[in-house]
Amino acid sequence: MQNNKLFLLFVLLSLGMASTAQETDEFTSRPTGRGEYSLVAYASGGFGYFPSDKGTPAYLQPVKTKWNTVGTLRIMWHTDRLLKAGIETGYITFYSYKLRDSAGRTGKIALNATPILLEFSMSLKNRFNIFAGTGLYILNTKLDYDGKVNSNKLSSGWMLAASYIYPIGKKVGLGTEVKWLYATETSNGSVCGQIQLVWRFLKW
Amino acid sequence: MKYFFILTSFAFLFSCRRTFEAPIPDLAWDNFNSLSAVRLQNTQGQKMEGIYSFSDGSLDFGTEAAVKWSYTAIGSDTTYHLSFFCQKDVSYFICEGKRVDSSILLNGYWRRMIGTETGRVRLTITQQNGGAKILSALPLASTDNIVITGVYGDGEAVPDQPIQLQKMRPLFRATPFEIIAHRGGGRTSDLLPASENSVEIIRMASRFGATGVEIDVRMTSDGVPILYHDGTLNERLIQKNGMIGPIENYSYAQLSALVRLIKGERIPTLREALNAVVYNTPLRYVWLDTKYVGSLQKVRDLQVEFLQKATAIGRSVTITIGLPDRDAFESFKKLPNYQNIPSVNELTREEVREVNSPIWAPRFTLGLQNAEVAAVHAEGRKVFVWTLDIPASIQEYLTNGQFDGILSNYPSAVAYYYYAKQ
Repeated sequence: MQNNKLFLLFVLLSLGMASTAQETDEFTSRPTGRGEYSLVAYASGGFGYFPSDKGTPAYLQPVKTKWNTVGTLRIMWHTDRLLKAGIETGYITFYSYKLRDSAGRTGKIALNATPILLEFSMSLKNRFNIFAGTGLYILNTKLDYDGKVNSNKLSSGWMLAASYIYPIGKKVGLGTEVKWLYATETSNGSVCGQIQLVWRFLKW
Repeated sequence: MKYFFILTSFAFLFSCRRTFEAPIPDLAWDNFNSLSAVRLQNTQGQKMEGIYSFSDGSLDFGTEAAVKWSYTAIGSDTTYHLSFFCQKDVSYFICEGKRVDSSILLNGYWRRMIGTETGRVRLTITQQNGGAKILSALPLASTDNIVITGVYGDGEAVPDQPIQLQKMRPLFRATPFEIIAHRGGGRTSDLLPASENSVEIIRMASRFGATGVEIDVRMTSDGVPILYHDGTLNERLIQKNGMIGPIENYSYAQLSALVRLIKGERIPTLREALNAVVYNTPLRYVWLDTKYVGSLQKVRDLQVEFLQKATAIGRSVTITIGLPDRDAFESFKKLPNYQNIPSVNELTREEVREVNSPIWAPRFTLGLQNAEVAAVHAEGRKVFVWTLDIPASIQEYLTNGQFDGILSNYPSAVAYYYYAKQ
């Protein structure tokens, strides 16, 4: 229910921003002119799928949830070149599962992550972009079995993404993004599908 | 260029990771498993110990092997093994023995620790080649000859490469010496049959040549001493299950029920580990490497309990609390009567004297330190060096050093170079 509310809020925010963007020129990820620079925010929400079957041992009789929500925020520095740089963070649940031990006691484990990534991006076509980044993941286990445990660990990791951005104004675009988020500590990652609001919030 | 970038990214994304394994091969051998084959007794096995020379098989295993008998006792069931610690490339055989009429059959596997090579070994000592003498009730005479013949093979292949060994001399035992296996018997990364710091690897340690084990002690969130090396749960040591972070965050009940080591074992308590040493193995030394910061009282209590249990069953076992750093040193000094508590001290000689550690344990990178070792000996203390893995270094430290023990990930290599001394 909470996820649905977040999604609704995201859509309303997108439409609201789009309605305020009445300029005739369209948003583009490509250089807009010699010596023109801008900061662009990418707010994305959607779902991540953890494809691996590892991580849920059979002896725990796991009931695994592979589809989980993912939200990310990215700030990119658009220059007068094709290559862009920026940072991305967010929150993802890689996977979670309900378990039952040999004595029949039940519990739940969720593996979550907050990525903090340095990213580079390039616009391949007018509306099509690719992203690659590396950095840290703050991994977090939430365990509920014989008491609750909240345990964190830092991991290195990386990401790859491709997005299509449809301009809905001079400063705003609405896009979709497919993204692979990978933390080395877990030896696996999630493929994410997100809806994306892009906003050029500062230009000089 | 951009399409090259995309293709490269996909290749990287979907590339496979190579995994390394060295599983024990299937040891089925009809002759060995026949109804007429009878397990060897302890006294018979001990007669086979000695230094043997290879006449066939030396290309793979070197010129000599030190052959050593050991046992594992689980309840009333005792299993004996004959281990061959070979001169070349940290290789060894581990066999069980049975008699068939007046011949002896040895069935097992070989493993080369430098790499993943392994395979079957099937050996025989015929009646004429010493089998009858080994099986008789009489002791072996120094002139009695033992010749072991047989075959070995790669992996699961039927063994067909010839081996022949001849006994040359007894094992060297002139000076007491401890061969201490790291992490209970060896590292998980060395692809041994059991995980490091498990009860199962402790039970195997003497087969790898160890006379003692070093085990890593940490504390759970509810204060249970357990065996685990790393500071955090990670896929190097446990099967992936979604639990990450410091092991001290979790209770023993959570770790015991939810976590399995790489080979499927539970994380053992220190109590279970010491129980295995005292009741299941011939190991005579335990180095408790304290990996946590905090009170050592629970570790001390277990040390006292299991020293008493060993004495009660007539076993001579030394259990020492490791002092690897100043934190552990200061915690140790808070124990009542600490100067009378057996410890193995990795700090300076002054700190060894301060807490009256019976064992000083300098790291091998400090060199032979013969003058310092002699000075510590003069105080009535022993000196163990850690962690020696390179065969040439092991040989150097055994030949030119004066140490009383070596801690190694490859106890079979230490065993060979120690027992082969003359």
